[in-house]
Amino acid sequence: MRKKELRLVVTFHTTADAMAMEKECKENQVNGRLIPVPRSISAGCGLAWCAGLEDKDTILSMMDQVGIEHEDLHECMV
Amino acid sequence: MNLSDSKKKLAIAGIICGLIAAVLAKMGNPANMAMCIACFVRDTAGALKLHSAAAVQYARPEVIGIVIGAFAISLATKEYRSTAGSSPMIRFILGMIIMIGSLAFLGCPLRMVLRMSAGDLNAWVALIGFAAGVATGAFFLKKGFSLGRAHETNFASGTILPILMAGIFVLSVCTTLLAASEKGAGPGALHAPIAVSLIAGLLFGAVAQKSRMCFAGSIRDIILVRSFDLISVIAGLFVVMLVFNIATGGFHLSFTGQPVAHSAHLWNILGMYAVGFAAVLAGGCPLRQLVLAGQGSSDGAVTVLGLFVGAAVSHNFGLAGAAAAAATADKPATAGGVSTAGQVAVIICIAACFLIALTNKRKGTK
Repeated sequence: MRKKELRLVVTFHTTADAMAMEKECKENQVNGRLIPVPRSISAGCGLAWCAGLEDKDTILSMMDQVGIEHEDLHECMV
Repeated sequence: MNLSDSKKKLAIAGIICGLIAAVLAKMGNPANMAMCIACFVRDTAGALKLHSAAAVQYARPEVIGIVIGAFAISLATKEYRSTAGSSPMIRFILGMIIMIGSLAFLGCPLRMVLRMSAGDLNAWVALIGFAAGVATGAFFLKKGFSLGRAHETNFASGTILPILMAGIFVLSVCTTLLAASEKGAGPGALHAPIAVSLIAGLLFGAVAQKSRMCFAGSIRDIILVRSFDLISVIAGLFVVMLVFNIATGGFHLSFTGQPVAHSAHLWNILGMYAVGFAAVLAGGCPLRQLVLAGQGSSDGAVTVLGLFVGAAVSHNFGLAGAAAAAATADKPATAGGVSTAGQVAVIICIAACFLIALTNKRKGTK
């Protein structure tokens, strides 16, 4: 079982944005993975992007470049 | 206790929902229909005289309770968010499709699981269609399907459906305005006492809101992110009802002799295919739509209105499946199934799902 640690969780307005995020991160070799939105931070049953805290700037800059809007940024145990 | 921070606790949430369903089954709800969102919305639509099928008219307090339970818990835990504006008319159509597909099969995904736990093999066959529908929806999500984002709106907007549901409950208890199936008329006449049904609905809604219980979402998450969180809720519910059915002699592993069911396999599969597909496009199964509507989503509320209209259309135009029935002194045995009109409707529903999936893309998706 994966040990829980403090990580960056990016939530999106739509599931399609989350799917686009996965595609762009793969293409741009940015770290992270799709996860169900943690229940502690949202009431949605959607998807979120989970990555290391150290990747925050890279992720935000890539999202800005490819035009993916985030709903919110969280730091939580995942 | 936080019911949502580990798979084990999510399974406990499912067990609680299973226990609620077991109580409702014991207290008088129809066989293998302790809790069915499609059937209960259909019954409530009948009570409101949106259709006139005498066998299925009763304002089900469970449905009312689920919406109000989700509303109350989301307010209490600060998760209530009044939002709207994500392609409401498409969601309305998806709601209708979910209902038409469900009534062809004779049950929503929740009842499908309850029927599976009672050994109804027709429901296991329908699961193939449901999973395939969810997989098709997931495929289009990967291809960039989107109904657009919802926006924050006035607090009051999200309270409308819970208030309307409370109004239906008051009318059902205090007046004779609403229709109700007469004793012996059919499933609408079988129900637990009102107070038990209402409390069960409130609890079910609250637990479903906290656990994010969603039958379509559980399979979607396995396909898209290999997450088994949501399916653990469903597994908990299934296990409790399996034990309950075995203990009470309600478990019969067979295709025939199952209550309110038919063995038209192709139409069970295609009906639930439409439900799975439409539910993923709409962002949740019928139960999830009730819960989303309760926690402030006007888009969820519009989908629920689609469920009501879909129920009316199904019964007014003879699209709903007919249950198989054993021979009686007056009538010969009938195999049940889906009428030609119902079959055409299911095909149209599936075609409409493909059309919606192909024509609604995230901006910037090629």
